[in-house]
Amino acid sequence: MNRTSNAENVIMTTCHDHCCSVCLLKLHVRNGIITKVETDDGPEPQNRACARGRAYRQYVYHPDRLMYPLRRTGRRGEGKFERISWDEAMDTVASEIKRVKDTYGAASNILLCSCGDVGWLHNGGLIDRVLVHAGGYTGVLGNVSCEATWYASMAHYGTDNLVTGNTRDSLLKSKLIILWGWNPVVTKGYGNTHYYLSLVKKANIRVIAVDPRYTPTAQLLADQWIPIRPGTDTALLIAMAYVIITENLEDQGFLDKYTIGFNKFKTYVLGKEDGLPKTPAWAENIAGVPPDTTVNLARLYATSKPAALMDGWSVGRTAYGEQFHRAAATLSAMTGNVGIPGGSAGVGATSEVNPILDMGGYVSARMSGGDNPVHRAAPLRKDSLWAGVFYKKKMAGGDIGSQLFYSGGPTTAYLNRVCVADAILKGRAGGYPADYKLLYMVTINWLNQYANTNKIKEALRKLEFVVAQEQFMTPTAKFADIVFPTNTIVERNDVTWGALEPFYGYMNKAIASLGESKSQFEIAAGLAAKMGFSDFSDKTEEEWLRQIIAGCKDIPNYDAFKRAGIHRLVDSKPYVAFEEQIQGGKPFPTPSGKIEIYSQTLADLAEPGLPPIPKYIETWESIKDPLAKKYPLQLISTHSWRRTHSKFDNIPWLRELEVQAVVINPADALARGIKDGDMVRVFNDRGRMIIAARVTERIMPGVVEISEGAKYDPDVNGIDQGGCPNVLTKDIPSPGGGFCGNTALVQVEKAQRGHK
Amino acid sequence: MTQMGFYFDQTACINCYTCVVACKDWHDVPAGPASLIRVSTIEKGKCPEVSIHPMVNLCYHCGKPACVSTCPMGAITKREEDGIVVVDREMCQGKDNCSLCKDACPYDAPQFGAEENAKMQKCDFCFDRLAEGKKPACVDACLMRALDAGPIEDLRAKNGDIRETEGFVYGDECMPSIVFKPKKDTKRLIVQKVVVAPPTS
Repeated sequence: MNRTSNAENVIMTTCHDHCCSVCLLKLHVRNGIITKVETDDGPEPQNRACARGRAYRQYVYHPDRLMYPLRRTGRRGEGKFERISWDEAMDTVASEIKRVKDTYGAASNILLCSCGDVGWLHNGGLIDRVLVHAGGYTGVLGNVSCEATWYASMAHYGTDNLVTGNTRDSLLKSKLIILWGWNPVVTKGYGNTHYYLSLVKKANIRVIAVDPRYTPTAQLLADQWIPIRPGTDTALLIAMAYVIITENLEDQGFLDKYTIGFNKFKTYVLGKEDGLPKTPAWAENIAGVPPDTTVNLARLYATSKPAALMDGWSVGRTAYGEQFHRAAATLSAMTGNVGIPGGSAGVGATSEVNPILDMGGYVSARMSGGDNPVHRAAPLRKDSLWAGVFYKKKMAGGDIGSQLFYSGGPTTAYLNRVCVADAILKGRAGGYPADYKLLYMVTINWLNQYANTNKIKEALRKLEFVVAQEQFMTPTAKFADIVFPTNTIVERNDVTWGALEPFYGYMNKAIASLGESKSQFEIAAGLAAKMGFSDFSDKTEEEWLRQIIAGCKDIPNYDAFKRAGIHRLVDSKPYVAFEEQIQGGKPFPTPSGKIEIYSQTLADLAEPGLPPIPKYIETWESIKDPLAKKYPLQLISTHSWRRTHSKFDNIPWLRELEVQAVVINPADALARGIKDGDMVRVFNDRGRMIIAARVTERIMPGVVEISEGAKYDPDVNGIDQGGCPNVLTKDIPSPGGGFCGNTALVQVEKAQRGHK
Repeated sequence: MTQMGFYFDQTACINCYTCVVACKDWHDVPAGPASLIRVSTIEKGKCPEVSIHPMVNLCYHCGKPACVSTCPMGAITKREEDGIVVVDREMCQGKDNCSLCKDACPYDAPQFGAEENAKMQKCDFCFDRLAEGKKPACVDACLMRALDAGPIEDLRAKNGDIRETEGFVYGDECMPSIVFKPKKDTKRLIVQKVVVAPPTS
């Protein structure tokens, strides 16, 4: 029995899913069919794929893959469609885009893209190119995952990219690691995280987890778990600052040399500004952490240098989450841990842009449309409420990660990603710059993955025309008028980068496109032709990729790169964010040239929600909110092993691993008569669901957890049976612009049998 | 005779299921009740003093496998050259007719799919991969490098001869071929009062 016969080809390729790690896949292909998936077995550091990557075969060949263009025949959301030809589907979409533009103006067309199955060539930027040529469209600003970190990084460090993270090998030099809302063994999150964490484990480095949950990362590494109420993390950090200041443990030399505004922060912390000293007892009342624990944590952190305070994005996804990341960066500076191996600059514990590789080819050869007339025609954004002033910087600096979607400058024409449903429902009458009529979506499961599912449904019903480019009939695609079936990363060629690792990935075409599905490049080119855009592209897919790679000086040979699947830089050094400022004396790119614990730019904005120094601001829907009487539990939405956001939710090998459940502490369960495995109702004024309960001590009392990405599946009464937490989340952005999915109050009750 | 076996580092496992999916892909096992390798966790303590012990369950290719002697059809055999316990599924009578191997094995190694009269299947140590100089699919998949496989004497020499850990009892009567790095309860770095907030309702 030989399962790898010689008739098989083994094709080296990489994943590129929305975990933003890029892992090696070795696809065994026989007679044009993928028969097995292996992963990296070369020299360490191997880039081993997780369960999601290993299940790719079931993803590609899933019986529910969309094979043909579809036209809606039932009501929006009902899921009734008929097969039509590509010609007819594209004609319809092209004429609708033109009709909406001619009738209402180009700003009434919205483009909404995400990163579920994209690369440097095949992504939403291609449709941006088509729509810009057609007169423009309304785009969206903001990053659902980590807008608060962008904001904090720009305010505190003056960066125009999110490059605040060290490469993971830096953790091996730490004497203390604090996992603050950071659970990378599940999220993966930028880089070969598991490999380096396995070395951290062997090195016996001290680790503390501060989190409402005892996460799998805490299980692996933490010597101790400090539970904390969601949305109160900034208070605990500030109380730690109080301890460090009052015990004279701060690194005053570092603060004097590299920062401005520490004294203003100190004044606030000590209570000289508002008469309220931010003592550990003050924080206990907010965060629920005993004062002794806070004192000891602060002392341990201040005296264990280098120490890495890894402030995860999840906490940034609470109301006022930008304050959390700025407070973490302030503590990192107070302890002199910025810019040194083993330390951390704070602000999200990662870099969204790879600081190691030459990304020149990506920037020069990308296929976005350039200047968007809709964005250009609107006034520049000068307000603060969602980070206007900093976006200007972000634009000017060239945000590689997001540039595709941000053409035309930081103007008021853009919608915050969190507010798209509100904008569609209210339009000009609600203060938005246009009335929105058409929505074009590229690989985005919007109603499942964005706050307030029920409101998004309403918005989708209001639109005149909806297009979705998708691989599956997602809950969102069910609302589309036309669905374009998109192929997967193994059915086309593309390239990508290794997140925070020194390598590039080549995503090889291993098999022909299934059914009539097409690549994003083919779809955009076809649509461009229908819209009279004759010079959309003068190159083939292959020629584009060659041009992109020719611009990346690290890659000497395109063909060798394509065969290997990964091109790794041999002599890459560990990357430490801001090393050149701290070790090399270069100024920080802030107005003052220093780390801005106090930001004059923010002071000038005079926006109470965005103070110039990091401050604790009580969130809406905190446990002190009167609403907590009705909805006493804080909901957090987390990541699951078996999905990357909503992708892979339908994969049998992954579905069977864990039951979608609301995770609840035994004390809260007992008070409600709930036993492990019972069906329960979770609800608030925004939505309701029926879901299984998982009763465990791995979550603190007062908090419940539902992992995001489960498929929204409403019954006839609109009650979700699928376990999609966004039926419960609120679609108001934080003042810094961020998504606040981890700030929501709910109630949980035992469901009566047979009654939903 | 060489006896193949496994090493499991209980301190490093994160119960991420990558071994489970890699195994199902390699052996073409569909989603369903049969899984040649399973992972689980044992939870102890109360918030915030919680500890989790992960465990991996598969066939431990016992020195004295209870399944081999119990099978009335002689479908289960232990390979002379490496001690790997294999089943000839053609010879198995199927779960509707017999479950003696399942009843005999203390480790739940014999697995049955959802299909009618499913034939027994179990971990075969990926002997096809072994023949190509590779380790079993689960070992090569493990993100945390918590699993290893090879001659049990080599694994014992390298990792010590610890045969039991939280969640696993060594059965003298069958002699499972696995050694562990056991997980101990975590130490505390800083003083922490055990505070459990009153339940909210």
